[in-house]
Amino acid sequence: MESEYIIEMLNIRKEFPGIVANDDITLQLRRGEIHALLGENGAGKSTLMSVLFGLYQPEKGVIKKNGEVVKINNPNDATALKIGMVHQHFKLVEVFTVLDNIILGAEDTKLGFLQKKAARAKVEALSQKYGLNVDLDAKVEDISVGMQQRTEILKMLYRDNEILIFDEPTAVLTPQEIDELMEIMRGFAKEGKSILFITHKLNEIMAVSDRVTVLRKGRYVGTVNTKDTNKQELSNMMVGRPVQLQVQKGEAHPGETVLDVQGLVVPSKVHKNNAVKGVSFQAHAGEILCIAGIDGNGQSELVYGITGLEKASAGKVSLCGVDISKATIRRRSDAGMSHIPEDRHKHGLVLDDTLENNLVLQTFRQDRFQTMGFIKRDAVRSYAEKIIDQYDVRSGQGPITIARSMSGGNQQKAIIGREIDRENPLIIAVQPTRGLDVGAIEYIHAQLVAQRDAGKAVLLVSLELDEVMNLSDRILVMYEGEIVGELDPKKTTVAELGLYMAGAKRDK
Amino acid sequence: MKQKSPLLQREGAKTVLSSILSILIGLVFGSILVLIVAFSSESISPKGGLEGVSLVFLGLFSTGRDAAGELAFGFNPTSIGNMLFRAIPLLMTGLSVAVANKTGLFNIGAPGQYLMGTWASLTVALSIPTSVVPSWIVWTLALLAGMLAGAIWGAIPGFLKATRNINEVLACIMTNWIAANLVTFLFDISDLKNGAEAGKVGYIKPTAANGVATAKLGLDKLLPQSQVNAGILVAILIAIGIYILMNKTTLGYELKACGSNRHAARYAGINDKRNIVLSMAIAGSMAGAGAALYWLSGNTEFFWSTYQSLPAVGFNGIPVALLAANSPIGVIFTAIFMSLLNICGTQLKNLTAFNEYITDIIIAAIVYLSSFSLIIKMWLSSRGKKKTAEPAPAPAAAGEKTGKENGK
Repeated sequence: MESEYIIEMLNIRKEFPGIVANDDITLQLRRGEIHALLGENGAGKSTLMSVLFGLYQPEKGVIKKNGEVVKINNPNDATALKIGMVHQHFKLVEVFTVLDNIILGAEDTKLGFLQKKAARAKVEALSQKYGLNVDLDAKVEDISVGMQQRTEILKMLYRDNEILIFDEPTAVLTPQEIDELMEIMRGFAKEGKSILFITHKLNEIMAVSDRVTVLRKGRYVGTVNTKDTNKQELSNMMVGRPVQLQVQKGEAHPGETVLDVQGLVVPSKVHKNNAVKGVSFQAHAGEILCIAGIDGNGQSELVYGITGLEKASAGKVSLCGVDISKATIRRRSDAGMSHIPEDRHKHGLVLDDTLENNLVLQTFRQDRFQTMGFIKRDAVRSYAEKIIDQYDVRSGQGPITIARSMSGGNQQKAIIGREIDRENPLIIAVQPTRGLDVGAIEYIHAQLVAQRDAGKAVLLVSLELDEVMNLSDRILVMYEGEIVGELDPKKTTVAELGLYMAGAKRDK
Repeated sequence: MKQKSPLLQREGAKTVLSSILSILIGLVFGSILVLIVAFSSESISPKGGLEGVSLVFLGLFSTGRDAAGELAFGFNPTSIGNMLFRAIPLLMTGLSVAVANKTGLFNIGAPGQYLMGTWASLTVALSIPTSVVPSWIVWTLALLAGMLAGAIWGAIPGFLKATRNINEVLACIMTNWIAANLVTFLFDISDLKNGAEAGKVGYIKPTAANGVATAKLGLDKLLPQSQVNAGILVAILIAIGIYILMNKTTLGYELKACGSNRHAARYAGINDKRNIVLSMAIAGSMAGAGAALYWLSGNTEFFWSTYQSLPAVGFNGIPVALLAANSPIGVIFTAIFMSLLNICGTQLKNLTAFNEYITDIIIAAIVYLSSFSLIIKMWLSSRGKKKTAEPAPAPAAAGEKTGKENGK
């Protein structure tokens, strides 16, 4: 007799020293359904998947396939059970061709020689059938991220997997590519394959999934049918309290120009071409100006050029009317620039230092924190306590907590508190909510809007379309190092924004 | 008010405890080694083995053998004085390595910096006639010259690291050997070689020849018949100075920020390149000062033909710093401890049938095990965590809005 569920994870419990990562979690995947697994960072999604893959052994609970208890001791067992996974960070050999990557680990050989002909035919048939367009002979390093993802999907299909797990698959895709992926996933479900879809994006869950299982802080919250629920309910389940999904903000009242960028050119670190090719724009007081675009189109380098982390090879940057094109990072910062960096671990924090030291990373030389080169520890301590209190930074030991031990959301709150408290006319926020959960995102958005209303110019760089559309007052789209369009979020659609981001459309 | 955490959970206490534990493990291991050698060697009786063990632990207080031929223990001023004297260069090279480590750099160039410091300080101390300049001024100038030479020699790998991103370990090894050859050459063409005394071929004159010697400040009365002088006090003062520099000043804050995350430091407007050069220069000046304090004692004689070898005291700064967990204050104690091991080894060699090689092996084993202090510290931490795991969720639950447990 065939069971209703193809895979069941029943009452799974997994502990790590000092923490229960999965506490009595049940996940039942029906044959031919798209099942979303929803939860904030640290909710236990990855641990649960690692248990399914045999990377961890659960302390309690059983895994059943087709109603029979199975023991998954290592990833090979998972593969034998026809479970496949597309990881968030692709596992591809960059210098191999697409075909080589697909057959890697499952090669046919004859007398020790590779037999690629049959493999090629099979892969071609699969890619035809599901509309997975790839160039089998291209090297992975030369193809787009979307095609790399399709390569990963073909890898699963080539191994005849029945259970397909997608871990945050849309993070790197354009809106159009996301639509394509959704279509492909629906096709799989129709074919009878079962899909586990790990995400924290509610739009996608509503669009594609049949059922949703929600986890919170390692515990099972519930499983609901997608058609019986809505985004608000799901996010409340995920966070455990009512959440404000829409950014609350009034009309913007743009004032004078704060940041003026003229013809900025920034060389790339990875290739010979310039990453930023003559970009010009102004950011005004009292507005949130968003730089939108797919990752890797020069947004990061643009910010490096403005903040001085990278030397611009041409162009002019003025802050409040002062030319800072040649100024050092410190002088730019002192001239009135706050910077919430893209990579909070690389640039934002000295992870092995205390929270209080991190909160004075730029300001420790000011007279309020030092006399004659000696740091006033008491002043630093009370300042840190003020920021921690004001910005609700939660940590184990307060000011003396080592930054590394804090959660991502609280690390980001500390950075945001530090940067906002410097009261600079310009705040550059690069992906300020990346990797954060709904609660923290809500808080950070509110802070940025408050700064706008206080008359600061906020330059926001974001890859999240929701954030771009909801938070910004004006959108500049960057494509291949150039600004290809200026949009008003009130008058544009996500689809149009997507066309600009993909380079299919540009302002004349 | 802030509540103080229990003693054993404080970071500093854990560090000290782990260092002490690893020293004990090292000593026990050394003792086992001594016993194995004793039981497997025909020339050493089991009693000799036990005597060896007692010297491993109590060598500092050994006063030789009494009339009955038994080991005697008691206050031995010579041993204690010599221990303090020999700790001086170790303390300084330990500081050198610790400062660099604190700023994220591995200074394996202390031997070269030490040699350059030796040359500079001896040259100044022996070349400025004390008939013209008061000898204490010559002494001070010689110390400063040693520090400067070490600083320059340290700054070279720092500069290459900062501007060309050349691994400082590679550059340090190169500069070590350049220093070994350069110093030999510079002494060879100098007139500082000791040609006057018989049996002193290949040595540089002791600085006492020019009337320059580190003051004793009465320490020699306290610990008679030993080499002790005020150099140990100078070294301790420098260590305290480094502690203040690293922990209390904006410069130390910048150096440490650069060391633990160069990118974040740059982001915050700190000049990361300048700070890398500076921290290697400070590290180098410590090694240079160590050389100066040792050779300016007045009666130490430098064997100048060093081109084939590097001074071990330079490398020994590494375990001294490791064992002290890079704490400048801790270095004072670990340097003295390393020096104590040396004294124990000497006593073992002099008083028992164990030869000098076995004592070297024991010292090496102890030093090797001392590097386990980090592992022991991790073990202590994980034990501490388990014990506090129960009450911990209470404060976390109080702020449940977005507060999450650390980890996944």
